[in-house]
Amino acid sequence: MGDILNDSTNLASQLVRQIYMDEDFDFVGIALQENSGLRKIRWRYAAGYTSERFRKIVLRSGIGIAGLVVRTGKPFLENDLQHNQYSDYVSCPITQIEQLTSAAAIPLFDHETQGVGGVLLVGYRHAQQQVTQQTIAHLEHYRQSAGVLI
Amino acid sequence: MLESTSWIEKNFSESPDAIFIFQNDALLISNQAAKTLLENYHFSLTYLCSLMQSVLAQQRNDTDDCFHCAIKEVMPNRAIPVTLKTADNQKLAYFLVVTPLDDAQHTYSLTLKSNAMLQRMDQVAQQRKLVQYVNRAHEEERKRLSQDLHDSIAQGVYSAIMGIRHLEPATAATDQAAFRSQAKLIENQLYETLSEVKGMALDIRPSVLDSFGLVPALKALAQRLEENTGITINVIARAETEHLSEDVQTVFYRIAQESMTNAIKHAKCAEINLILIQHPHLISLEIIDDGSGFDTQQMGSFNGHSLGLMNMNERVKALQGTFHIDSSVGNGTTVRAEFPVV
Repeated sequence: MGDILNDSTNLASQLVRQIYMDEDFDFVGIALQENSGLRKIRWRYAAGYTSERFRKIVLRSGIGIAGLVVRTGKPFLENDLQHNQYSDYVSCPITQIEQLTSAAAIPLFDHETQGVGGVLLVGYRHAQQQVTQQTIAHLEHYRQSAGVLI
Repeated sequence: MLESTSWIEKNFSESPDAIFIFQNDALLISNQAAKTLLENYHFSLTYLCSLMQSVLAQQRNDTDDCFHCAIKEVMPNRAIPVTLKTADNQKLAYFLVVTPLDDAQHTYSLTLKSNAMLQRMDQVAQQRKLVQYVNRAHEEERKRLSQDLHDSIAQGVYSAIMGIRHLEPATAATDQAAFRSQAKLIENQLYETLSEVKGMALDIRPSVLDSFGLVPALKALAQRLEENTGITINVIARAETEHLSEDVQTVFYRIAQESMTNAIKHAKCAEINLILIQHPHLISLEIIDDGSGFDTQQMGSFNGHSLGLMNMNERVKALQGTFHIDSSVGNGTTVRAEFPVV
């Protein structure tokens, strides 16, 4: 069991690193559901972060961009983040802490249950760079090729 | 016409403001309030007249270099502050308003408005606003609870029900793997709902506060906010809280909650320190953030935005405590509440 976990988390950290190196995103992060306790979802791997604060966050289902992905199991993207409903800490902490101006996120599915077991989120810090449906397709491609079904 | 004249007369004689009408500086008529005032206070009408004359003369002075004073232009009546003494030497503040009635016949009226009454009216208006604010906050709370119940709890339970329905085909086909994965899915769903319910219960009224006391409750609150926002929240508690009354503990908790929410929502802070300290005969709670801060002068006056602060202040005052906010733009905010203890 421990080995499987290690394998998949390794995959996740590799995926973060690979996307961050190959693409021009300012931030790449993966949040995963814990296997014990209250099954909290936390940001486990990230690249391009500005502080360690993201590690404190516990994702809330249905709240914020990543939370909506967890709840619906569908990709989600948003531009102009500093000026809309996601512009405060409570509704979308990760984009606030990392000062992202746009972000796109896709779900990562659990092998066993086929349910959402995590989120892959990328974002920019400069308003002129925007995320589109193409970004989503791109991320899905990465997910598929890495075989990350965690 | 006759009727309306009598109404105007009635209005004049029963007005709460004391009204004197003068012609050539001699008293012509005065209303009931003016008569009572004259009986109760020791002052001479000539004093009022000369006071008024001197202020008018001062204002009409040609050498006054304030030619186009915008303030004077929007003030048709001259209002002069006057302090009157009662027989037992109590001072009461009034405003003296001069209204010229007929310049040709040198007729004018003097109206004495009680300053205390105006202030009392202001207070009442302020209290009304506060009550409105508290009521609205109650409604908002209910709205949020109802939304949370509907959107997250009900949704979670519904998903679990759907999940259980999906178990049936797996059982029928004796597909062990499918059964296990579906069961896991339902378990996760229920865990999520459980943590939502717990979170909601904590939001409404922290049971920790009732069963374990103030310090664990503050720590739980800090941890929850930290997890929701990623902001570092340190709780430093050097106090015995068992002997505090339930009211004081609740107020401390609510002040911590409101101040931290304010800091998170409005101040864009990165760190909050919560310090609860016991002094001899005094217990104090400080909430210090490193956010953007605000101008307390601007917020201190009565406006719609500071009602939350005012409400905290009222709650502390009601329990004989003191409440203080220290903030300036760019220097973060410190909220402090203190209560005397035996």
